[in-house]
Amino acid sequence: MTADHLRREEWAVTLPSLGWLLALFAAPTLLVFAVSFRPADPYGGIGAGWTLATLREMARTPLGPVIARTVRLSALTTAICLALAIPCGTCLARVAPRRQAVLLLLVVVPFWTSFLIRVFAWRMLLHPEGPLKRVLVTVGLADPHTQLLYSEPAVLLVMVYTFLPFAILPIYAAAEKFDLALLEAARDLGAGPWGAFVKVFLPGIGRGVLTATLMVLIPALGSYVIPDLVGGPGQDMLGNRIAQRAFSDRNLPQASALSAALTLAALAPMALAALVQRRPPALEAAARKEAA
Amino acid sequence: MATDGFLIFENVTKRFGAHAAVDGVSVGVQKGEVFSLLGPSGCGKTTLLRIAAGLETPDEGRVWLDGEDITDLPPERRRVNTVFQNYALFPHLTVAENIAFGPRAAGWPRARIREEVDRMLALVQLTDQAGKKPRMLSGGQKQRVAIARALINQPRVLLLDEPLAALDLKLRQRMLVELDLIHDEVGITFVYVTHDQGEAMGLSDRIAVMNRGRIEQIGRPAEIYEAPRTGFVAAFIGDTNFLEGRVEEHLGDNYCRLGVEGFPDIECFNDTGRPPGEPVCLSVRPEKIRISRERPEPAPHVNVVPARVADAIYLGTHTRFWVRVGRHRVAVWQPHARFLLDERPIRWGDEVWISWHGDDGFMLERFSGADAALVATPPERIGAANGGVAP
Amino acid sequence: MRRSRWPPVVTAAVLVFLWLPIAVLAANSFNRSRFGSSWEGLSLRWYRALLADADTWRALRNSLVVGVGATLTSLALGTSAAVALHRHRSRLQRLHYALVYSPLVVPDLLMGMSLLVLFVALGADLGLGTVYLAHTTFCVSYVAMVVLARLQDFDPSILEAARDLGAGRWTVVRRVLLPLLAPGLAAAGLLAFTLSIDDFVITFFVAGPGATTLPVRVYSMIKHSRNLPAINALSVLMLAATFTAVRASRRLLQEDRP
Repeated sequence: MTADHLRREEWAVTLPSLGWLLALFAAPTLLVFAVSFRPADPYGGIGAGWTLATLREMARTPLGPVIARTVRLSALTTAICLALAIPCGTCLARVAPRRQAVLLLLVVVPFWTSFLIRVFAWRMLLHPEGPLKRVLVTVGLADPHTQLLYSEPAVLLVMVYTFLPFAILPIYAAAEKFDLALLEAARDLGAGPWGAFVKVFLPGIGRGVLTATLMVLIPALGSYVIPDLVGGPGQDMLGNRIAQRAFSDRNLPQASALSAALTLAALAPMALAALVQRRPPALEAAARKEAA
Repeated sequence: MATDGFLIFENVTKRFGAHAAVDGVSVGVQKGEVFSLLGPSGCGKTTLLRIAAGLETPDEGRVWLDGEDITDLPPERRRVNTVFQNYALFPHLTVAENIAFGPRAAGWPRARIREEVDRMLALVQLTDQAGKKPRMLSGGQKQRVAIARALINQPRVLLLDEPLAALDLKLRQRMLVELDLIHDEVGITFVYVTHDQGEAMGLSDRIAVMNRGRIEQIGRPAEIYEAPRTGFVAAFIGDTNFLEGRVEEHLGDNYCRLGVEGFPDIECFNDTGRPPGEPVCLSVRPEKIRISRERPEPAPHVNVVPARVADAIYLGTHTRFWVRVGRHRVAVWQPHARFLLDERPIRWGDEVWISWHGDDGFMLERFSGADAALVATPPERIGAANGGVAP
Repeated sequence: MRRSRWPPVVTAAVLVFLWLPIAVLAANSFNRSRFGSSWEGLSLRWYRALLADADTWRALRNSLVVGVGATLTSLALGTSAAVALHRHRSRLQRLHYALVYSPLVVPDLLMGMSLLVLFVALGADLGLGTVYLAHTTFCVSYVAMVVLARLQDFDPSILEAARDLGAGRWTVVRRVLLPLLAPGLAAAGLLAFTLSIDDFVITFFVAGPGATTLPVRVYSMIKHSRNLPAINALSVLMLAATFTAVRASRRLLQEDRP
């Protein structure tokens, strides 16, 4: 096979997906940034010419609380998911193979079921006349006037519920590869159980934790359905604002500008992760100096 | 404390489910010695080591270190360190950080850590590799990091779990010499687990041969090889011929006459005073047997038996013969002390004489159970496998 | 050395947490009561109400049409992408990989929004066609990843052996590569179909008024309908379909594992 031939074959198998994704993924993503600088037209379309009016308009609306809520809820969701996923993923990695298959299935299947239906199920559970409220009132943990649904904790709860499997699976995969003899070695060298966990186990599954963080944090930042269905009127996240601008206000440029901001926000943790994973040589050298 | 020593196991039993991995073991390791636990895989040697490290808790019995009962101490509170089988180096830490792990956990002052890490790096000749991550090291280098990482804590006892198993033959031999040198230098008590008799023989002051959770024999390497007390030990350490027979009569001077089917009368050393009529198993090591074309001159206590060569393998340093005596096949190793090409070599089918001194035979119990399978292994199989029984 | 008791306890709690809403939902679909706050007897009335609803049937039909279309297109594109990524190492493939991988991490909302902007900018009519394009776009990445994993699993010398035994290029593809890939392709197809059927956010952005799919219908029922228990019934039917699909895909992927 000549190099030329190989090249042609490569293009033949690459071009269909490359072309499709360039046209329907890369181009629209860039377009969103461009449209932020276009005026809105009254019929919900995109006007002609270039303008900074959209951005100026945005600066005038108080977005601060929405952004703060979005970041807060996403960060909390990520933290809670990690706190649950680290012990859970570790446990899954250590059980006997037969049990492991069953347990993994039990984790994955809810995640395969319709997302809307899972959110709906929580609406039922948290409903003022729903079972959870009755149980809580009976046990004395809530009084009859407590509002479970349409509150920020409810949004957080359902976000954790939705994203938890995304955190468990990568941590499980990393923990499965982790050599348990390292924990024994740490104990043997004088580290207590907690010390061994922090100094050896966590760094050992570090990549899994990082993947889990990204897998939860990024989609969490883009949450829209969850605050829409279980959050109260004052609990909008950035996603709700985007949908609002796009559908209720029919102002695509403003929706685009918000989307562009959200895209940048989603890119930030990815860039940070890339930085952490490929530790620059300066840090490595510093670490060496410290150890020696 | 019935047993004495620096590190003492007293009636230690550890069960996994119904299976007793370690079954009532009592043994005392002396201060400063290299003590090996030798046996096939699954014999309980690693479990015993892990009990000493605190990584397993015994179901019964106590463990004493320097007069202190350490049975219930967690691993981090024992002054005992382990060199793990696959090294278990921390992949996210450099060589120096790996070595500094123990001192940091113990909260040594920084200056002292730096000083000691440097000393250890020099001891294992890794000073120029200090900043590398374990994955960038060769097998032998990883091994040395593992040793340094354990030794820096100045343990009372260093536990080594098959430390050379992952290395190739050449490196294994070199590391064995290095381990010996390190032991001479630091003078710490070593407990060394291995399935390789060569390692155990070469390094140890004393060896405990283990089989199915129990200790079969404890002794200096030469004692274990020259005077195995059980059939298992005889077969596991080196190679041997087993001949089933019966004590016929006592001959005085601690000798007795044995009857083995197909053999003329055999004389054998009998210091344990086995009574006539007792069924025994005679063990004779192949290198103790001479082979010759001519009938050797009769001498006191020397057994001389006619045989026919069934197989011969030339191995440079020596030739391995398998000769047939009646229905038995007997392995005979003949060293080549002289220039071989001048001689007329013994070949397949030749009629020969084999001879051995009565002192070189050992009468052992006939075995039962799982060990019977071992005895049933035909001599050519035992001769063929390097260490007798494959681990 | 004793193991910490925490991981199993947390795992048990997590599993209860994951399954509790699903269990409650399933139970309520058979409950005569409206809000599921109390049990008023076993009933199939919500299933009957659901099956009589013409809008739901139309939404289901739309979902199936889009799902089948997006699955087939994304299978073709994704498999070709996987082969390209597997066989070639070049700057082009690094770009290709980044492009295939990114849709997996981009939030749905952003993908829906950007596609909406694109379709509006192009003046395209929003409808089942745009939904199909959008679904195919995110399915391609998933298909490519599943097939790529499958390709990396098998021994490249098999293909060389086939060539060595005299098979031509196309014979190798048809007689060796495709049969070996078949379980992977089936699993990828099933995944694509499930994702398409289940997608709400992206669909919501790019579907015109007439192009209601099942999740969009469910959403509007949740949001506006008083007929909540009918959603329960629908949910249970969808759960049952999901479980069947999961079972099928597991069988496909495990069939020829040693």
